[in-house]
Amino acid sequence: MNIIEKILRNHSVEDIPEVSPGDIVTVNVDRAIITDMAALHPEFINEPPVKPFDNNKIAVIFDHFVPPPNIEISSRINRLRKLVDLWNIRDFYDVGRGGISHVIAAEKGFLRPGSLIANTDSHTIAVGAFNTVGRGLGTPEIMNIIATGKTWFVIGDTIRVNLNGNMNSNASYRDVFFNIAGTTGDIPNNNIEFHGDGIKRITMDGRSSISTMCAEISAEFSVFPYDSVLKNYMDNINIYDYKAIEPDNNTYYYKTYDIDLNKIEPMIALPDRIINNIKPVSEINKTEISVAVVGSCANGRLSDLRDVSSVLKNHRVNRNVRFIVTPASQEIYNEALRLGYIDTIIKSDALVTNPTCGACLGGHMGVVGDGDTVISSTTRNFKGRMGSSKANIYLASAKTVAASAVKGYISGDLSE
Amino acid sequence: MNNIEGKIWLFGDDINTDLMYPQVCYTLKEEEKPFYAMSANRPGWSKMVNRGDIIVAGRNFGTGSSRPAADNIKNLGISCVIAESINGLFLRNSVNSGFLALTVPGIVDAVDEGDILYIDLKNNTVINKSNNRKINFKPLPQFLMDIIDNGGIINILRNKGLLGWPL
Repeated sequence: MNIIEKILRNHSVEDIPEVSPGDIVTVNVDRAIITDMAALHPEFINEPPVKPFDNNKIAVIFDHFVPPPNIEISSRINRLRKLVDLWNIRDFYDVGRGGISHVIAAEKGFLRPGSLIANTDSHTIAVGAFNTVGRGLGTPEIMNIIATGKTWFVIGDTIRVNLNGNMNSNASYRDVFFNIAGTTGDIPNNNIEFHGDGIKRITMDGRSSISTMCAEISAEFSVFPYDSVLKNYMDNINIYDYKAIEPDNNTYYYKTYDIDLNKIEPMIALPDRIINNIKPVSEINKTEISVAVVGSCANGRLSDLRDVSSVLKNHRVNRNVRFIVTPASQEIYNEALRLGYIDTIIKSDALVTNPTCGACLGGHMGVVGDGDTVISSTTRNFKGRMGSSKANIYLASAKTVAASAVKGYISGDLSE
Repeated sequence: MNNIEGKIWLFGDDINTDLMYPQVCYTLKEEEKPFYAMSANRPGWSKMVNRGDIIVAGRNFGTGSSRPAADNIKNLGISCVIAESINGLFLRNSVNSGFLALTVPGIVDAVDEGDILYIDLKNNTVINKSNNRKINFKPLPQFLMDIIDNGGIINILRNKGLLGWPL
């Protein structure tokens, strides 16, 4: 069995020796995460589960609408907030105390190697960076999990992706993902397991970015192996109680792809989709932009703010561009302040917002309008995703977004 | 579940959740939401849909968010989605909403928009009544069909007494 199969087998309600593709397993979840989006689902606030299967295994993390942008959403979130007392929830992260659920889940030690996470957000596949499995689930399904502690998964075929070699300094982990997407195409119902000699040099931020974006090729689960990089992360947050999972020797993989990290250059996704829509930035003709965004669970992390700050140092954002930078969590925000990144960013005429999913979902903190051309490090470029359906959204690394914000047009590098 | 017959609306690859359920839907009244389905990629379409119509689409249908996209096209009157391949989250949401979504490789080449499609769930066959082409498909596991037949997961939880009072 591979890592994903073993983790699912270990969480099976029935004692089974192994699982294989096509099997349906009913599993116990280790942790269920509810975000403020639950408040926007009438079924959840009108008919919430009577009681949770285990109040200490549930976290409530407000992230999409922090702080709420209008009366309707604010009032609905107030209703959701009542659950925290009703269920006696210990792990609650309200406005000013948290950030994006996938990032908070990592910072607070909810993502333990070998564990299984349930979260309604569709980027829950992010947890794969932590040798953990999880995927996005719908709100009705999380209600079932809260009530019973269980759900089901169909075991899919697993694709092995070997990340080999060393990355060039001009490329980012987001470019690695674009390269993977260009290699595999869409893979609904299939899993991705990462291996290869290049992994040991990929930071937890990088693994999280890659794993998060695997949602955009419709992967079922994605997972990274356990190694010293992950062990150091867990040690630093004083979490030692876990059982990391390795694949069996001679595990069968449905397909194997090799990615040569040395060859990766800055990439960009053209508007409306990622699949079959990615190009090297160097092949893009001069395209003027009006909005630049750095943020989200994929690329609003400390290393992304560092990249933005180093590009912006001694430069100013082009006068025709609104550049919005959204740290993914309070902890990242605080650390970026301490390291001087925020100072550099705001002095370059970029706007730094509070931590939230914000502009990524087109709900607030940077809703785009008719005629905008956007370059963003967020997760999706669907038509209408960030606001108006008459805006064009390009996706790229934080570094490319920042360079483009300075130039006023899409560019992978200030020296170009 | 009974067999289904309906008129086909044909869509391409990678039809995503945000097209089916745009961000603005979240705070609209329930009865208004379905009319925003596909408003960005096919303006005016939602008003042309009749109850019982079927969506046929290409690869990777329903890619994207966990938002209730399946609910929205169900509430518009669509009886079923048939696609070359379907995103796993969209499939879960469909099943949990009591809505049928089937993967039928080869379907796009076997139909034109406006054809009448018959889905025989006993024999796991789709028949295009407009050109008599027939494709067999792999059915959803019985476990998932049972959730659909029970009207979705909320209904099941409610019947078990696991849901409570409004917050």
